[in-house]
Amino acid sequence: MASPTAFSAEVAAGRGRRIAVRAAGSLLGAVWRCRFGWVGGQRRREILAEQARVFCERMGSSFIKLGQLASVRPDVFAPETIFELERLQDRVAPVPTARIRAAIARELGADADSVFADFEDQPLAAASVAQVHRARLRRAYRPVSGPVLPAGTRVAVKVLRPGIEAEIAADLALGRRWAARLNRFGRLARWRPVELLEEFAGMLARELDLRNEGRIADRFARDFQDDPLVRVPKVVWRHSTRRVLVSEHVEGWRLNELGPAERAGIDARALAVHGADVFMRQVLVLGYFHADLHPANLFVTPQGQLCFLDFGIVGTTTHAQRGAIAQVLAGLVYGDSARALRYSRALGLDIPDSQVEPVRRHIERLVHDHLLVPDTADVRGFALAFLSMLADYRIRIPAGYGLLIKALVTVEGVSHAIYPDLDLMTAARPFATRLIAEQLMRPERLRRRLAAARTAALEELLA
Amino acid sequence: MKNFVELLAAWALFHESADEGWKAAVARGREQTPGAMNEGPEAFVEGLAALVDEEKERLKQRLADGSTTPDGDSPIDLAEQVERLGFEIAELRGRMESLQASIDGIADRLQR
Repeated sequence: MASPTAFSAEVAAGRGRRIAVRAAGSLLGAVWRCRFGWVGGQRRREILAEQARVFCERMGSSFIKLGQLASVRPDVFAPETIFELERLQDRVAPVPTARIRAAIARELGADADSVFADFEDQPLAAASVAQVHRARLRRAYRPVSGPVLPAGTRVAVKVLRPGIEAEIAADLALGRRWAARLNRFGRLARWRPVELLEEFAGMLARELDLRNEGRIADRFARDFQDDPLVRVPKVVWRHSTRRVLVSEHVEGWRLNELGPAERAGIDARALAVHGADVFMRQVLVLGYFHADLHPANLFVTPQGQLCFLDFGIVGTTTHAQRGAIAQVLAGLVYGDSARALRYSRALGLDIPDSQVEPVRRHIERLVHDHLLVPDTADVRGFALAFLSMLADYRIRIPAGYGLLIKALVTVEGVSHAIYPDLDLMTAARPFATRLIAEQLMRPERLRRRLAAARTAALEELLA
Repeated sequence: MKNFVELLAAWALFHESADEGWKAAVARGREQTPGAMNEGPEAFVEGLAALVDEEKERLKQRLADGSTTPDGDSPIDLAEQVERLGFEIAELRGRMESLQASIDGIADRLQR
């Protein structure tokens, strides 16, 4: 009889072989569809990206998650890849409810029926990492902020898929071996496969501890408690652990379910503009932002509120970055490419002095072609062309900068899902104006500029 | 200017015009439609005027509340501090409740 170690090594080898076979199949498929390299550059990248997405979907949970994490890294992958991976279908066959009930009992020390008043066996959603069931609170609960949730309140019980941690750990172990091999090849080593995999492993570890998501949700709810149009489900910590997260269940329409009938009941345009403002406030005022917005993570309530879910991937901005981001946004919104470029460099975009002017001219053209077109501003088209341009100039993109560009594109998608005719650039102008005015009028800035201004005024008067 | 009263009248007229101009700029700034910045620097100044006016209203409110304490902390600042601390305590309570739930789960497994 084989020992457990030998058995798991055998299982890992089998899984490794399956992955290798599928990867080779996908690669061959891509080569065939690219007509052995005869199709043009962009189309070729699109085909490769599509094959990568299908490969991730076929390989199951850990690859779907890996693909999702890759989709927020335009600093590493081609723009065609990140926008294709964004379409990853995070829907998998549900785990039998008996196993979910067993997981709840193991985590909370009591079975689901004694913890909740009414636990529904039919899952509400089944994704790669977790499954969600509806239930009702047995007793009233006082959340971290906001009013008490009375007994009987509907809640969403999110439970990690049993065995998912081991599955991901096994795939990561295989990935580490392959990354170490790839690192030996000069051309592939510049992708830093080992470091990249470790970064992904860190992100996955954070996502697999559901308490992290709950804490960010609490903070988000608190920071937007003055905004009646923003709703964040309250976390029920009494029944939440590393593998179970219980939060208020909010009814509403997912963005892809929002038809003309639903839009008629709410002020869709105002809500779409407000959605963009909420994002700006996150990035430029609060210093963190929901970096994984997609139709499944955001919906509109019948009361016309935006409800945010799933804070698994969050980007952060420092105080200095916030000032520079505001300037980049203002530069883009008002078509001032020199300003956008100057502050992009301050954000870490490493452009050699000799390339500054050609890059500026390129950005100017892109801004005019994509962003300043009346009523049809296209942030996504701009981002795609901008990232391709940086790749052409071999300019390395800092991770935070890439995440921000991706998030901006997502905000445009979200705003359009709510109100398809919204011109995001026009909507962003008042916000950008206010922001710049506030920055200009900051006392420390005025103090810093006062001496120079006084000298200039005296020179002018005495001339 | 021969007449002193005429001088004062000119002075009053100047201030009245400036005041009316300021109020009009604030009103235009408040109603500024998205994209108004395309109209040039005046639109920016009007937006700024609206911003300053809002701050002025907040200052008036603070003064009307009677509100600065000798050490410089206004009741509004203190209320914000209390709210922040309250949130941090509530966060800690949430963490402890979650830990308790985990302990209950482990204890139950030990008993089986």
